[in-house]
Amino acid sequence: MIERLIDAARARADAADAQWHRAERTSVAFESGRLKACGIAEDAGINLRVLHQGRVGIAGTTATEPGDLLDRALASAALGETVPLVFPPAAPLPHVPTYSRATAEASLDQLTAIGAELVGRVARAGCQVNVSVDREVMETRLVNTAGVDAGYPGAAISVSVDLTRFAGDDVLMVYDGYTGIELPQAADLDALVTSIERRFTPALRLAKPPEGALPVVFTPAGLSAILLPLEQALSGKAVLQGISPLADKVGRRLFDERFSIVDDPLVAGRVSSRPVDDEGVPSRTVPLIENGVVRRFVYDLETAARAGTTSTGHGIRGTFSKPRIGFSNLIVGNRNGATETSFGGGLASGLRDGLIVDDLIGVGQGNVIGGAFSHPVALAYRVQDSEITGRVKEAAVAGNVYELLKRIGGFGNDGRWLGSRWSASLLLEGVSVARR
Amino acid sequence: MKDRLTAALKASRAEYTEIRIEHTWSSAVTFRGSRLESASASEDQGGFVRVLDRGCGWGIAAFTSLDRLPAMVERARELSRAVRLDEPIERAAVAPVTADALLELDGDVRGVALGEKKRVLEGYNGEMLAVPGVVDTQASYHDEVTEYWYANSEGTLLHELRPEVTLSGTAIARRNGTIEKGLESVGLRRGWNAVHDHAAGFREAARRAAALLDAPTVKGGTYPVVLDNEMAGVFIHEAFGHLSEADFVYENPQAREMMTLGRRFGRAVLNVGDNGAAPGLRGTLPYDDEGTPTQDTPLIRDGILVGRLHSRETAAKLGERPTGNARAISYRHPPIVRMTNTYIANGQGSFEDLIRDISLGVYACSAFGGQTVLENFSFTAAYGHMIRDGHLAELVKDVVLAGNLFQTLDRIEHIGGDFCWNQMGGGCGKGGQFPLPVTEGAPHVRIEAALVGGDVPA
Repeated sequence: MIERLIDAARARADAADAQWHRAERTSVAFESGRLKACGIAEDAGINLRVLHQGRVGIAGTTATEPGDLLDRALASAALGETVPLVFPPAAPLPHVPTYSRATAEASLDQLTAIGAELVGRVARAGCQVNVSVDREVMETRLVNTAGVDAGYPGAAISVSVDLTRFAGDDVLMVYDGYTGIELPQAADLDALVTSIERRFTPALRLAKPPEGALPVVFTPAGLSAILLPLEQALSGKAVLQGISPLADKVGRRLFDERFSIVDDPLVAGRVSSRPVDDEGVPSRTVPLIENGVVRRFVYDLETAARAGTTSTGHGIRGTFSKPRIGFSNLIVGNRNGATETSFGGGLASGLRDGLIVDDLIGVGQGNVIGGAFSHPVALAYRVQDSEITGRVKEAAVAGNVYELLKRIGGFGNDGRWLGSRWSASLLLEGVSVARR
Repeated sequence: MKDRLTAALKASRAEYTEIRIEHTWSSAVTFRGSRLESASASEDQGGFVRVLDRGCGWGIAAFTSLDRLPAMVERARELSRAVRLDEPIERAAVAPVTADALLELDGDVRGVALGEKKRVLEGYNGEMLAVPGVVDTQASYHDEVTEYWYANSEGTLLHELRPEVTLSGTAIARRNGTIEKGLESVGLRRGWNAVHDHAAGFREAARRAAALLDAPTVKGGTYPVVLDNEMAGVFIHEAFGHLSEADFVYENPQAREMMTLGRRFGRAVLNVGDNGAAPGLRGTLPYDDEGTPTQDTPLIRDGILVGRLHSRETAAKLGERPTGNARAISYRHPPIVRMTNTYIANGQGSFEDLIRDISLGVYACSAFGGQTVLENFSFTAAYGHMIRDGHLAELVKDVVLAGNLFQTLDRIEHIGGDFCWNQMGGGCGKGGQFPLPVTEGAPHVRIEAALVGGDVPA
């Protein structure tokens, strides 16, 4: 159908591209420790973009026949503003594994067995454990009028575990997950169980929050609040709109010289890896911040055309909306061998008084891109004389990421993937901690 | 379509089968500054089957190829049979109903040209751009009509048309290094007739953004706090509503203890409910996605917990009655327990009565966002005013409320008599399903003492 659509578009528009995506997801859900539901979801859709008289139009559908899709795209283009958009020509694509036959063909029993094992290993008296296992098998195809005809298969599995304890009005919830292209191996499940255990046990005791400008260890999960402003500022769209604080800082050292961020779509075995982006641009590794120096921003075709630069291969698109900028895999710090020894990646050792922050409330609210943040903690621990002394409830942390990342107190030895981001724990000095 | 549904149900060998089919036409327009980002129309269609075989768990199949319906019914049964349960899943009784429950389309958006929709939004965007100090804007228009069929093996067969329109705008004011935002949002379960006459709201949001450039940051501390209608509504949804969803407690004895009916949650002035049947609102529908009629469900009466929101499964498990709160964002998802239009009921008195005896307090207005993690919450107001000696005083910014929800509910000491529904866009997220159309309503609400802080002092 996609070839016919592009042929039809060629006759009525100046240029066009279309992406077809099909996914089949199989899910098993354990609720309160027992298997409760199994489901499948099949989803297929096509997203068409046309360029007509210099204007861009978009339309999408999940119907099996294109129907009036091209008419709708042309109607959209008639209203659109002019963009000097150029679709990329065919080019050799890098090799990156995105598919695993073992994952794609795993039986319902295999998926259920993974969940059942985790329930058994994580469950404890007086607590509720929920586990879900989702396996997705995908196919993506992208065709444009400049000659690109690219496609690749995908497979992914994600496993999530949460453990909740109610004690009076105190609720403690700890969660973690595994995602990858390959089925989780025994070591992966061990790591998941250990991770839950390391968060849960020290949280059973409550500690009084400290106060003042203190050293705070942000775990890979807790780092979201610190990295979100940078992710927003590194988008070429933010630069184009004049709202990125990094816009005129390329080539300058703004951060600790051990701090780097790389976008890497070519990592084997990760669910966000891909040989080509959703606009037909071949994937490549893009250093964004290198040894503390701002290197470059990410662009899709349209923002690149507007900014007078080239796409970095970061166009992503869904069935219904126009392509937008999105990262693939973000690697924070130096991805070397992790030797994880303890929660916090060993950074708690040596702290006289401080916190380990694993989850914050309200991340993403407010004026994120400016770098200032202030959040109550959702899951955090007090560290006194190198030891975790308990969970801290009534506390908030605040600071400015551009200030805090100038000097990093240390990188943990607990580097890991969390969804599409790899990082270790970071120790940041002088984070303001308040009690409430 | 009805014949196809009936035939598929008849062919099912499972004890219980339900099918939803949805066909959605939508259009969206977005401006960034004076530039049109995109204007497009989309079509989405698909189906959902859920099956319960005797002694088994839920088997679920969602799909976009409608000709696969019979195969999907059989596949869902296989999936159900893969889950063997010692304690079977029960469904509380709901009387079977056959209805063409068409909501008022109020101007069918499908008959309006995309260019017209662009023109309306361009007007509102222009209102914001015209305000001095505003350097950038974002504006968006979205509409949809969903043709919806629901049928189950107990004899329910529903056919509905569900309309929805949302308009939203963000005005960004900047001077030197300071950036401030003003937000306007309108969301209704109505049609084209409802998208006009909103210019004043967009203008007001832009003026507020500009005014905030000169406003001081609120000084952190504990104050008596008055929430405006919008903040109070968002607060009750986030801080209490989610706990009243029965799937939070039905499998968990400790959680059930925390949410025991009869427990005191606030003072006698506090009355809270959820009303999926209130006309014209974003969370309104005649039936939920299990074919249960929606209703007005009291949750807190005179400060005491008296009810909770149910699906058929959670109602059966807890021996209570279904409330019509099993909802799914689309055919891609199963129905789960969700809110509809959640409210704090009217009290007495005017806004002036609420602030008269406050010597120093904060008036928190218009929500930027909020999040609750278990019993802790954090809400960001779009702006605020100080209250001094019983009067509204200067505009302040960075008003963030944080606290423990049990303590804060218990500190609600005065509820005004000026109830109104929020008519904002946006939506609620839970279990990977976002955005579900919901809204809230409340009068002005006074909290005896709450922690307000923008910056945390180092």
